[in-house]
Formats: sequence, C-alpha cells, structure tokens
Amino acid sequence: MNLKLEVFSVPGCDNCAQAKKALKSVVEELDAGVEWRDVNILDEMDYAVELGIVTSAAIAIDGELVFPKLPTADRLRAELVRRLRRES
Amino acid sequence: MLTIGKVAARANVSADTLRYYEEGGLLAPAGKSPAGYRLYGDDAVRRVQFIKHAQQCGFVLAEIREMLSFKARADACCHDIRALAVEKKLELERRIKVMKAMSQALEDLIAICNDEAKPIDDCPILTALETSLGAHSQGQRKTLLGKRRTRQA
Repeated sequence: MNLKLEVFSVPGCDNCAQAKKALKSVVEELDAGVEWRDVNILDEMDYAVELGIVTSAAIAIDGELVFPKLPTADRLRAELVRRLRRES
Repeated sequence: MLTIGKVAARANVSADTLRYYEEGGLLAPAGKSPAGYRLYGDDAVRRVQFIKHAQQCGFVLAEIREMLSFKARADACCHDIRALAVEKKLELERRIKVMKAMSQALEDLIAICNDEAKPIDDCPILTALETSLGAHSQGQRKTLLGKRRTRQA
C-alpha cells in the first residue's frame, strides 16, 4: 500500500529546498510506494491549517501532521520504514 | 537627540508605550540627559512605527524583537522574515477557523431558542449547554443547575 507524503513549504526558501532534496532522496532510495507531493503553503493555506501546521516547512503522512518541522533524513527514513512495515 | 515626549508625539504613541517597548527589549534610549531623562536618536520614531505596523499585522512583541534581531544579523535574509510572516498567517488562519466554529456554535444555539418567554429552566440554550457539559462532568451540571435555581429564588 502506498504512503502519501506531503511536504509543506513556501517557494523561495533555499534552506528548505536543500533539506527537501535530501529527504526526497530517502524516498527514492526506499523505492517502496511512497508518493511525494510538494505543497505550497500559500496555495493551500486552509489545508495546512486543517492539519495543524504552524511552521513554514513541515511533513504530513497520509493526511496526518507527523513532522511539524523538517526532520533529518534518518528520522524520515525510520518513520517511513515503520509505517511501511505496519502496512505490509 | 529627542526626549521621550517628542518621540511619543512624532510616533503618535504614549510615553508609557515607549517605556513598555523598552521593557520588552524593543527600543532603548541612546542615552540620558544630565537630569536623568531618556534621550533617543533620530531613528527611534522610525523604529516605533515599525513596531506599530508589525503589531497591526498580529505580531507580538517577542516576534517583533526577533524580526528586529534579524535586521542586525549579517547572515539573515529576506526569507527569514517571510517565514515569520507565513507562520503568523498560519496562526491567524487557525484562530479565524476556531472563531468561526465558535460563531457557528452560537448561531446554532440562537436558532434553537424560538420562544424567549419560556421559564429559565426550559431555556433550550442552557439545556443544550448543560447537555454538552454533562458529557464532561455530571458534577459541573449539578453546579450549574444549582446556580440557576439560586438566581430564580
């Protein structure tokens, strides 16, 4: 079963872009049915508020705010592996 | 150099407001007169106006202090301020959502009360509020009922 990973940020943030690149490589390495979606907070403010996002870079998995701030690559990998095992 | 009264008049705030900003670490006098009165530099008025505008956008003093500290940092960039603005907007939108829900709840309560002449014990608004209170605590419900009876007596 696929996991839906939504990465909330605002365009123009170089630090976020670099951090997201590292996180995206985690998803690509896993190659295990994780769907990545970039979400522009300014375009989807209502959705971000609904999920409880309070900072300008955060990650939701399957519609649940899991990382209120961008995690390290290791933390994201561990969370995805845990969820994928649970789903299988 | 400007006295506190002159800065206050030019920025259209009270002297107390300037002292409050000083306590919050947002505005420091450049020095003191021989008599011990605060004296401010020419940039003070501009700084006070910055603080006022930021407050009008919903920023609290601690956040404004953070913004001002970014201005003094060589490694800070526009993105840092934009991130603060986005986060403030997220907070405001969340509060608006909560307040809309509260407003809707009140609208629902007002709608169920169609007879203002009913005795207080039959008031549908109080009954509806007690019902939801009862889910939390039977004891609280009893307390509320007791208060109503006392008011009637």
